[in-house]
Amino acid sequence: MDIIKVEICIGTPCYLMGARELIEEMRKVETEHIDKIKLKTAHCIDDCCDKAPVAKVDNQIYEDLTPDKLREIVLKKIK
Amino acid sequence: MGLVIDEFYQSVAKHGQEVCGDNVEIIKNDNETIVVLSDGLGSGIKANILSTLTSKIAVGLIDKKLPLIEIIETVLATLPICEVREIAYSTLAVLRLKQDGTTQIIEIDTPSIFLARDGQIKKIEMKKREMWGKTVCEAEIKLDQDDRLFMVSDGVIHAGIGALLDFGLGWHGFARHLKDVLERYCDLENIIEKLVDICLAYYLMEPGDDFTVLGLGFRKERELTMLSGPPQDSKKDEEVVFELLEGPGRKVVSGGTTASIVARELNQKVESTFDYYDKEVPPIMKINGMDLVTEGLLTLNKTADYLDNHKQGQLYPKGKDGAAQMVRMLLSSDYIKMIVGRAMNESHQSLNLPLELGIRTQVMNRIAKSLKKLNKEVEIVWY
Repeated sequence: MDIIKVEICIGTPCYLMGARELIEEMRKVETEHIDKIKLKTAHCIDDCCDKAPVAKVDNQIYEDLTPDKLREIVLKKIK
Repeated sequence: MGLVIDEFYQSVAKHGQEVCGDNVEIIKNDNETIVVLSDGLGSGIKANILSTLTSKIAVGLIDKKLPLIEIIETVLATLPICEVREIAYSTLAVLRLKQDGTTQIIEIDTPSIFLARDGQIKKIEMKKREMWGKTVCEAEIKLDQDDRLFMVSDGVIHAGIGALLDFGLGWHGFARHLKDVLERYCDLENIIEKLVDICLAYYLMEPGDDFTVLGLGFRKERELTMLSGPPQDSKKDEEVVFELLEGPGRKVVSGGTTASIVARELNQKVESTFDYYDKEVPPIMKINGMDLVTEGLLTLNKTADYLDNHKQGQLYPKGKDGAAQMVRMLLSSDYIKMIVGRAMNESHQSLNLPLELGIRTQVMNRIAKSLKKLNKEVEIVWY
Protein backbone atom coordinates (compact mmCIF):
# COMPACT_ATOMS: atom_id res chain seq x y z
CA MET A 1 0.00 0.00 0.00
CA ASP A 2 1.22 3.50 -0.80
CA ILE A 3 2.21 5.83 1.98
CA ILE A 4 -0.42 8.52 2.60
CA LYS A 5 0.98 12.03 2.36
CA VAL A 6 -0.47 14.45 4.91
CA GLU A 7 0.52 18.08 4.59
CA ILE A 8 -0.69 20.47 7.32
CA CYS A 9 -0.62 24.22 6.77
CA ILE A 10 1.08 26.12 9.60
CA GLY A 11 0.63 29.64 8.23
CA THR A 12 -0.55 32.24 10.77
CA PRO A 13 -4.33 31.80 10.14
CA CYS A 14 -4.18 28.00 10.15
CA TYR A 15 -1.98 27.93 13.25
CA LEU A 16 -4.37 30.26 15.08
CA MET A 17 -7.34 28.15 14.02
CA GLY A 18 -5.88 24.88 15.31
CA ALA A 19 -3.12 23.54 13.04
CA ARG A 20 -1.13 22.57 16.13
CA GLU A 21 -3.92 20.25 17.30
CA LEU A 22 -4.01 18.71 13.81
CA ILE A 23 -0.26 18.00 14.01
CA GLU A 24 -0.67 16.45 17.48
CA GLU A 25 -3.47 14.20 16.22
CA MET A 26 -1.48 13.13 13.16
CA ARG A 27 1.53 12.35 15.35
CA LYS A 28 -0.72 9.95 17.27
CA VAL A 29 -1.97 8.35 14.04
CA GLU A 30 1.65 8.10 12.90
CA THR A 31 2.57 6.04 15.97
CA GLU A 32 -0.58 3.91 15.76
CA HIS A 33 0.00 3.12 12.08
CA ILE A 34 3.75 3.01 11.62
CA ASP A 35 5.01 3.60 8.06
CA LYS A 36 1.50 4.31 6.79
CA ILE A 37 1.59 8.11 6.68
CA LYS A 38 4.17 10.74 5.84
CA LEU A 39 3.60 13.93 7.78
CA LYS A 40 4.73 17.32 6.49
CA THR A 41 4.00 20.96 7.22
CA ALA A 42 3.58 23.71 4.68
CA HIS A 43 3.43 27.46 4.86
CA CYS A 44 0.30 27.99 2.77
CA ILE A 45 -1.91 25.59 0.86
CA ASP A 46 -3.81 27.08 -2.06
CA ASP A 47 -4.52 30.49 -0.44
CA CYS A 48 -7.69 29.29 1.26
CA CYS A 49 -6.87 31.00 4.56
CA ASP A 50 -10.49 31.97 5.24
CA LYS A 51 -11.27 28.26 5.60
CA ALA A 52 -8.46 27.55 8.07
CA PRO A 53 -7.18 25.13 9.27
CA VAL A 54 -6.37 23.44 6.02
CA ALA A 55 -4.56 20.22 5.17
CA LYS A 56 -3.76 18.27 2.05
CA VAL A 57 -4.14 14.49 2.10
CA ASP A 58 -2.77 12.77 -1.00
CA ASN A 59 -3.06 15.97 -3.02
CA GLN A 60 -6.66 16.61 -2.04
CA ILE A 61 -7.33 19.76 -0.01
CA TYR A 62 -9.54 19.60 3.08
CA GLU A 63 -10.77 22.80 4.77
CA ASP A 64 -12.28 23.78 8.15
CA LEU A 65 -10.67 20.76 9.76
CA THR A 66 -10.78 19.49 13.30
CA PRO A 67 -8.44 16.79 14.67
CA ASP A 68 -11.31 14.26 14.58
CA LYS A 69 -12.27 15.11 10.98
CA LEU A 70 -8.66 14.77 9.80
CA ARG A 71 -8.19 11.49 11.69
CA GLU A 72 -11.31 10.11 10.03
CA ILE A 73 -10.12 11.15 6.55
CA VAL A 74 -6.67 9.63 7.06
CA LEU A 75 -7.94 6.41 8.68
CA LYS A 76 -10.37 5.85 5.78
CA LYS A 77 -7.41 6.06 3.40
CA ILE A 78 -5.37 3.64 5.50
CA LYS A 79 -8.18 1.08 5.45
CA MET B 1 34.24 46.85 13.38
CA GLY B 2 34.32 48.47 16.80
CA LEU B 3 34.22 47.04 20.29
CA VAL B 4 31.21 47.19 22.56
CA ILE B 5 30.78 46.57 26.26
CA ASP B 6 29.01 43.31 26.97
CA GLU B 7 27.48 42.55 30.37
CA PHE B 8 25.51 39.69 31.87
CA TYR B 9 24.30 38.82 35.33
CA GLN B 10 22.18 36.28 37.11
CA SER B 11 20.65 36.63 40.56
CA VAL B 12 19.40 33.62 42.49
CA ALA B 13 17.05 33.93 45.46
CA LYS B 14 17.64 32.16 48.77
CA HIS B 15 15.98 28.75 48.84
CA GLY B 16 12.31 29.11 49.70
CA GLN B 17 12.15 32.82 48.83
CA GLU B 18 10.22 34.05 45.84
CA VAL B 19 12.25 37.21 45.22
CA CYS B 20 15.95 37.90 45.38
CA GLY B 21 17.37 40.37 47.89
CA ASP B 22 20.11 41.39 45.44
CA ASN B 23 19.41 43.97 42.78
CA VAL B 24 21.34 44.97 39.68
CA GLU B 25 20.80 48.14 37.67
CA ILE B 26 22.68 48.73 34.44
CA ILE B 27 22.53 51.92 32.43
CA LYS B 28 24.29 52.63 29.19
CA ASN B 29 25.04 56.06 27.89
CA ASP B 30 26.74 57.01 24.65
CA ASN B 31 30.14 55.68 25.57
CA GLU B 32 29.93 54.25 29.05
CA THR B 33 28.23 51.49 30.98
CA ILE B 34 27.32 51.94 34.63
CA VAL B 35 26.59 48.94 36.81
CA VAL B 36 25.16 49.08 40.31
CA LEU B 37 24.92 45.93 42.45
CA SER B 38 23.19 46.11 45.77
CA ASP B 39 22.55 43.39 48.35
CA GLY B 40 19.79 44.07 50.87
CA LEU B 41 20.23 42.86 54.47
CA GLY B 42 18.50 39.53 55.04
CA SER B 43 16.41 37.97 52.32
CA GLY B 44 12.96 38.04 50.79
CA ILE B 45 10.75 41.02 50.06
CA LYS B 46 12.37 43.28 52.69
CA ALA B 47 15.87 42.72 51.29
CA ASN B 48 14.56 43.12 47.76
CA ILE B 49 12.93 46.47 48.54
CA LEU B 50 16.06 47.74 50.31
CA SER B 51 18.47 46.74 47.57
CA THR B 52 16.14 48.06 44.86
CA LEU B 53 15.82 51.35 46.75
CA THR B 54 19.59 51.67 47.12
CA SER B 55 20.47 50.81 43.53
CA LYS B 56 17.67 52.97 42.10
CA ILE B 57 18.80 56.00 44.12
CA ALA B 58 22.38 55.42 42.95
CA VAL B 59 21.42 54.94 39.29
CA GLY B 60 19.11 57.97 39.35
CA LEU B 61 21.93 60.17 40.62
CA ILE B 62 24.51 58.70 38.24
CA ASP B 63 22.17 59.43 35.36
CA LYS B 64 22.28 63.09 36.38
CA LYS B 65 26.03 62.99 35.69
CA LEU B 66 27.11 63.82 39.26
CA PRO B 67 30.62 62.78 40.35
CA LEU B 68 30.61 59.19 41.58
CA ILE B 69 31.95 59.90 45.04
CA GLU B 70 29.30 62.60 45.64
CA ILE B 71 26.66 60.09 44.67
CA ILE B 72 28.03 57.53 47.10
CA GLU B 73 28.01 60.17 49.85
CA THR B 74 24.35 60.93 49.12
CA VAL B 75 23.41 57.25 49.07
CA LEU B 76 25.24 56.65 52.37
CA ALA B 77 23.50 59.59 53.96
CA THR B 78 20.14 58.30 52.74
CA LEU B 79 20.56 54.63 53.61
CA PRO B 80 18.52 53.63 56.64
CA ILE B 81 20.51 52.10 59.51
CA CYS B 82 19.24 49.07 61.37
CA GLU B 83 18.47 50.17 64.96
CA VAL B 84 19.45 46.86 66.53
CA ARG B 85 22.49 45.93 64.48
CA GLU B 86 23.53 49.51 63.71
CA ILE B 87 24.53 48.68 60.16
CA ALA B 88 23.22 49.90 56.86
CA TYR B 89 20.48 47.84 55.36
CA SER B 90 22.16 47.42 52.04
CA THR B 91 25.58 47.01 50.42
CA LEU B 92 26.62 48.78 47.28
CA ALA B 93 29.07 48.26 44.42
CA VAL B 94 29.24 50.76 41.57
CA LEU B 95 31.25 50.38 38.41
CA ARG B 96 31.61 52.86 35.60
CA LEU B 97 33.28 51.52 32.46
CA LYS B 98 34.08 53.88 29.61
CA GLN B 99 34.53 52.90 25.99
CA ASP B 100 38.28 53.62 26.22
CA GLY B 101 38.59 51.10 29.07
CA THR B 102 38.82 53.60 31.95
CA THR B 103 37.03 51.95 34.85
CA GLN B 104 36.03 53.48 38.13
CA ILE B 105 35.01 51.11 40.92
CA ILE B 106 33.47 51.91 44.29
CA GLU B 107 32.62 49.26 46.86
CA ILE B 108 30.88 49.45 50.21
CA ASP B 109 30.59 46.27 52.34
CA THR B 110 30.72 44.09 49.24
CA PRO B 111 33.19 41.39 48.09
CA SER B 112 36.17 42.74 46.10
CA ILE B 113 35.76 42.74 42.36
CA PHE B 114 37.56 40.03 40.31
CA LEU B 115 39.79 41.13 37.43
CA ALA B 116 40.48 38.43 34.85
CA ARG B 117 43.65 39.38 32.96
CA ASP B 118 46.15 37.22 31.04
CA GLY B 119 44.62 33.99 32.33
CA GLN B 120 44.94 35.06 35.97
CA ILE B 121 42.40 36.32 38.48
CA LYS B 122 43.55 39.43 40.31
CA LYS B 123 42.30 41.52 43.20
CA ILE B 124 42.32 45.23 42.45
CA GLU B 125 44.14 47.46 44.92
CA MET B 126 41.70 49.88 46.50
CA LYS B 127 42.08 53.24 48.20
CA LYS B 128 40.04 53.39 51.37
CA ARG B 129 38.29 56.34 52.93
CA GLU B 130 35.84 56.74 55.80
CA MET B 131 32.50 58.29 55.03
CA TRP B 132 29.40 58.35 57.24
CA GLY B 133 30.95 55.66 59.41
CA LYS B 134 31.53 53.38 56.43
CA THR B 135 34.70 52.28 54.68
CA VAL B 136 34.40 53.21 51.05
CA CYS B 137 36.86 51.45 48.71
CA GLU B 138 37.70 53.14 45.44
CA ALA B 139 39.88 52.21 42.49
CA GLU B 140 40.47 53.31 38.95
CA ILE B 141 41.94 50.94 36.39
CA LYS B 142 42.33 50.72 32.65
CA LEU B 143 40.55 47.70 31.25
CA ASP B 144 42.24 46.07 28.26
CA GLN B 145 40.40 44.59 25.31
CA ASP B 146 40.67 41.00 26.61
CA ASP B 147 40.16 41.75 30.31
CA ARG B 148 36.97 40.88 32.11
CA LEU B 149 35.55 42.06 35.41
CA PHE B 150 33.32 40.02 37.70
CA MET B 151 31.24 41.36 40.57
CA VAL B 152 29.51 39.13 43.07
CA SER B 153 27.34 39.53 46.15
CA ASP B 154 28.40 37.92 49.43
CA GLY B 155 26.12 34.93 48.78
CA VAL B 156 28.81 33.75 46.34
CA ILE B 157 31.64 34.12 48.83
CA HIS B 158 29.55 32.23 51.42
CA ALA B 159 28.48 29.52 48.96
CA GLY B 160 28.52 26.15 50.67
CA ILE B 161 27.84 27.32 54.22
CA GLY B 162 25.23 24.98 55.68
CA ALA B 163 25.91 22.54 52.86
CA LEU B 164 29.29 21.38 51.49
CA LEU B 165 31.67 23.79 53.26
CA ASP B 166 32.03 24.94 56.87
CA PHE B 167 33.30 28.42 56.07
CA GLY B 168 32.07 28.97 52.54
CA LEU B 169 33.79 29.18 49.20
CA GLY B 170 35.61 32.43 49.97
CA TRP B 171 37.06 35.01 47.54
CA HIS B 172 40.00 32.79 46.54
CA GLY B 173 37.81 29.72 46.19
CA PHE B 174 35.55 31.52 43.75
CA ALA B 175 38.58 32.97 41.93
CA ARG B 176 39.88 29.41 41.40
CA HIS B 177 36.59 28.34 39.83
CA LEU B 178 36.45 31.53 37.78
CA LYS B 179 39.90 30.79 36.34
CA ASP B 180 38.82 27.24 35.41
CA VAL B 181 35.58 28.42 33.77
CA LEU B 182 37.39 31.16 31.82
CA GLU B 183 39.83 28.58 30.46
CA ARG B 184 36.96 26.48 29.15
CA TYR B 185 34.37 29.00 27.97
CA CYS B 186 34.63 32.14 25.92
CA ASP B 187 31.09 33.47 25.75
CA LEU B 188 30.30 35.72 28.73
CA GLU B 189 26.70 34.48 28.98
CA ASN B 190 27.93 30.88 29.25
CA ILE B 191 30.53 31.87 31.80
CA ILE B 192 27.93 33.48 34.08
CA GLU B 193 25.67 30.44 33.76
CA LYS B 194 28.49 28.06 34.70
CA LEU B 195 29.53 30.20 37.68
CA VAL B 196 25.97 30.27 38.96
CA ASP B 197 25.78 26.46 38.57
CA ILE B 198 28.97 26.08 40.61
CA CYS B 199 27.61 28.24 43.46
CA LEU B 200 24.31 26.33 43.38
CA ALA B 201 26.23 23.04 43.58
CA TYR B 202 28.11 24.21 46.70
CA TYR B 203 24.74 25.07 48.23
CA LEU B 204 23.46 21.60 47.17
CA MET B 205 20.92 23.41 44.98
CA GLU B 206 19.32 25.07 48.01
CA PRO B 207 21.04 28.47 48.40
CA GLY B 208 21.33 29.63 52.00
CA ASP B 209 21.55 33.25 50.83
CA ASP B 210 20.62 35.35 47.80
CA PHE B 211 23.50 35.52 45.36
CA THR B 212 24.43 37.36 42.18
CA VAL B 213 27.21 36.87 39.66
CA LEU B 214 27.85 39.67 37.17
CA GLY B 215 30.47 39.88 34.46
CA LEU B 216 31.47 42.47 31.91
CA GLY B 217 34.05 43.00 29.23
CA PHE B 218 34.54 44.01 25.63
CA ARG B 219 33.47 42.10 22.55
CA LYS B 220 33.31 42.80 18.83
CA GLU B 221 30.22 44.58 17.57
CA ARG B 222 27.58 42.30 15.98
CA GLU B 223 25.11 43.17 13.24
CA LEU B 224 21.87 41.72 11.97
CA THR B 225 19.53 42.30 9.03
CA MET B 226 15.92 41.24 9.28
CA LEU B 227 13.20 41.10 6.63
CA SER B 228 9.53 40.90 7.48
CA GLY B 229 6.50 41.32 5.26
CA PRO B 230 6.12 41.45 1.49
CA PRO B 231 6.59 44.91 -0.09
CA GLN B 232 3.48 46.92 -0.99
CA ASP B 233 4.60 46.90 -4.61
CA SER B 234 5.18 43.28 -5.59
CA LYS B 235 7.58 44.43 -8.34
CA LYS B 236 9.98 45.26 -5.51
CA ASP B 237 10.26 41.65 -4.29
CA GLU B 238 13.67 41.25 -5.90
CA GLU B 239 14.89 44.60 -4.55
CA VAL B 240 13.85 43.70 -1.00
CA VAL B 241 15.62 40.33 -1.09
CA PHE B 242 18.71 42.03 -2.55
CA GLU B 243 18.65 44.55 0.30
CA LEU B 244 18.43 41.68 2.80
CA LEU B 245 21.40 39.89 1.25
CA GLU B 246 23.44 43.09 1.07
CA GLY B 247 22.55 44.00 4.66
CA PRO B 248 25.17 43.57 7.40
CA GLY B 249 25.60 40.54 9.69
CA ARG B 250 23.30 37.63 10.30
CA LYS B 251 20.07 37.27 8.31
CA VAL B 252 16.60 36.74 9.75
CA VAL B 253 13.36 36.32 7.79
CA SER B 254 9.99 36.55 9.50
CA GLY B 255 6.71 35.63 7.82
CA GLY B 256 5.52 32.73 5.70
CA THR B 257 4.85 34.77 2.57
CA THR B 258 8.11 36.66 3.06
CA ALA B 259 9.96 33.34 3.35
CA SER B 260 8.38 32.18 0.08
CA ILE B 261 9.52 35.39 -1.65
CA VAL B 262 13.10 35.01 -0.34
CA ALA B 263 13.21 31.34 -1.35
CA ARG B 264 11.81 32.11 -4.83
CA GLU B 265 14.30 34.92 -5.46
CA LEU B 266 17.22 32.80 -4.23
CA ASN B 267 16.06 29.74 -6.11
CA GLN B 268 15.89 27.81 -2.86
CA LYS B 269 13.21 25.83 -1.06
CA VAL B 270 11.45 26.69 2.19
CA GLU B 271 11.80 23.71 4.44
CA SER B 272 9.03 23.51 7.03
CA THR B 273 9.45 21.75 10.35
CA PHE B 274 6.79 20.62 12.79
CA ASP B 275 8.57 20.75 16.10
CA TYR B 276 6.90 23.34 18.26
CA TYR B 277 8.30 24.13 21.68
CA ASP B 278 5.87 26.84 22.70
CA LYS B 279 2.19 26.38 21.94
CA GLU B 280 1.78 30.05 21.03
CA VAL B 281 4.62 30.09 18.52
CA PRO B 282 4.43 28.19 15.20
CA PRO B 283 7.41 26.02 14.17
CA ILE B 284 10.35 27.69 12.43
CA MET B 285 11.26 27.16 8.78
CA LYS B 286 14.60 26.80 7.03
CA ILE B 287 16.06 28.41 3.92
CA ASN B 288 19.62 27.72 2.87
CA GLY B 289 21.79 30.73 3.65
CA MET B 290 19.43 32.34 6.20
CA ASP B 291 20.27 32.20 9.91
CA LEU B 292 16.66 32.09 11.10
CA VAL B 293 13.31 31.87 9.32
CA THR B 294 10.15 32.16 11.40
CA GLU B 295 6.41 32.56 11.00
CA GLY B 296 5.31 36.22 11.04
CA LEU B 297 2.77 37.88 13.31
CA LEU B 298 2.46 35.39 16.17
CA THR B 299 6.25 35.02 16.49
CA LEU B 300 6.82 38.78 16.22
CA ASN B 301 4.22 39.56 18.88
CA LYS B 302 5.75 36.99 21.24
CA THR B 303 9.19 38.47 20.49
CA ALA B 304 7.89 41.94 21.36
CA ASP B 305 6.49 40.57 24.66
CA TYR B 306 9.84 38.99 25.53
CA LEU B 307 11.69 42.21 24.76
CA ASP B 308 9.27 44.34 26.80
CA ASN B 309 10.17 42.33 29.90
CA HIS B 310 13.89 42.11 29.29
CA LYS B 311 16.19 44.01 31.63
CA GLN B 312 19.63 45.13 30.46
CA GLY B 313 22.23 42.50 31.35
CA GLN B 314 19.82 39.62 32.02
CA LEU B 315 20.58 36.27 30.42
CA TYR B 316 18.70 35.56 27.18
CA PRO B 317 15.60 33.33 27.08
CA LYS B 318 16.55 29.68 26.64
CA GLY B 319 13.53 28.44 24.64
CA LYS B 320 13.90 26.67 21.31
CA ASP B 321 10.79 28.24 19.78
CA GLY B 322 10.99 30.79 16.97
CA ALA B 323 10.35 33.80 19.20
CA ALA B 324 13.02 32.87 21.78
CA GLN B 325 15.50 32.26 18.96
CA MET B 326 14.65 35.62 17.43
CA VAL B 327 15.02 37.38 20.79
CA ARG B 328 18.48 35.84 21.22
CA MET B 329 19.48 36.95 17.71
CA LEU B 330 18.24 40.51 18.31
CA LEU B 331 19.66 40.91 21.82
CA SER B 332 23.07 39.62 20.82
CA SER B 333 23.29 42.18 18.00
CA ASP B 334 24.27 45.82 18.39
CA TYR B 335 23.20 47.19 15.02
CA ILE B 336 19.90 45.91 13.62
CA LYS B 337 18.57 46.75 10.19
CA MET B 338 14.87 45.98 9.77
CA ILE B 339 13.44 45.80 6.28
CA VAL B 340 9.66 45.89 6.66
CA GLY B 341 7.19 45.29 3.86
CA ARG B 342 3.79 46.91 4.29
CA ALA B 343 1.66 44.83 1.93
CA MET B 344 -1.74 44.00 3.40
CA ASN B 345 -1.94 40.27 4.11
CA GLU B 346 -5.33 39.22 2.75
CA SER B 347 -5.27 35.98 4.70
CA HIS B 348 -5.22 37.84 8.03
CA GLN B 349 -8.29 39.91 7.18
CA SER B 350 -10.57 36.90 7.60
CA LEU B 351 -9.38 36.35 11.17
CA ASN B 352 -10.60 39.61 12.75
CA LEU B 353 -7.37 39.87 14.72
CA PRO B 354 -7.11 42.57 17.39
CA LEU B 355 -5.73 45.71 15.78
CA GLU B 356 -2.42 45.73 17.65
CA LEU B 357 -1.79 42.06 16.83
CA GLY B 358 -2.74 42.30 13.19
CA ILE B 359 -0.65 45.21 12.01
CA ARG B 360 2.92 44.36 11.17
CA THR B 361 4.12 47.97 11.20
CA GLN B 362 2.92 48.33 14.79
CA VAL B 363 4.61 45.23 16.10
CA MET B 364 7.84 46.05 14.26
CA ASN B 365 7.79 49.55 15.77
CA ARG B 366 7.23 48.00 19.19
CA ILE B 367 10.22 45.68 18.74
CA ALA B 368 12.39 48.58 17.49
CA LYS B 369 11.40 50.73 20.49
CA SER B 370 12.31 47.98 22.98
CA LEU B 371 15.63 47.37 21.24
CA LYS B 372 16.49 51.08 21.31
CA LYS B 373 15.73 51.13 25.04
CA LEU B 374 18.27 48.32 25.40
CA ASN B 375 20.80 50.56 23.68
CA LYS B 376 20.73 48.89 20.26
CA GLU B 377 21.13 50.90 17.09
CA VAL B 378 18.05 50.21 14.96
CA GLU B 379 17.34 51.28 11.40
CA ILE B 380 13.98 50.58 9.76
CA VAL B 381 13.55 50.63 5.98
CA TRP B 382 9.90 50.57 4.87
CA TYR B 383 8.77 49.03 1.59
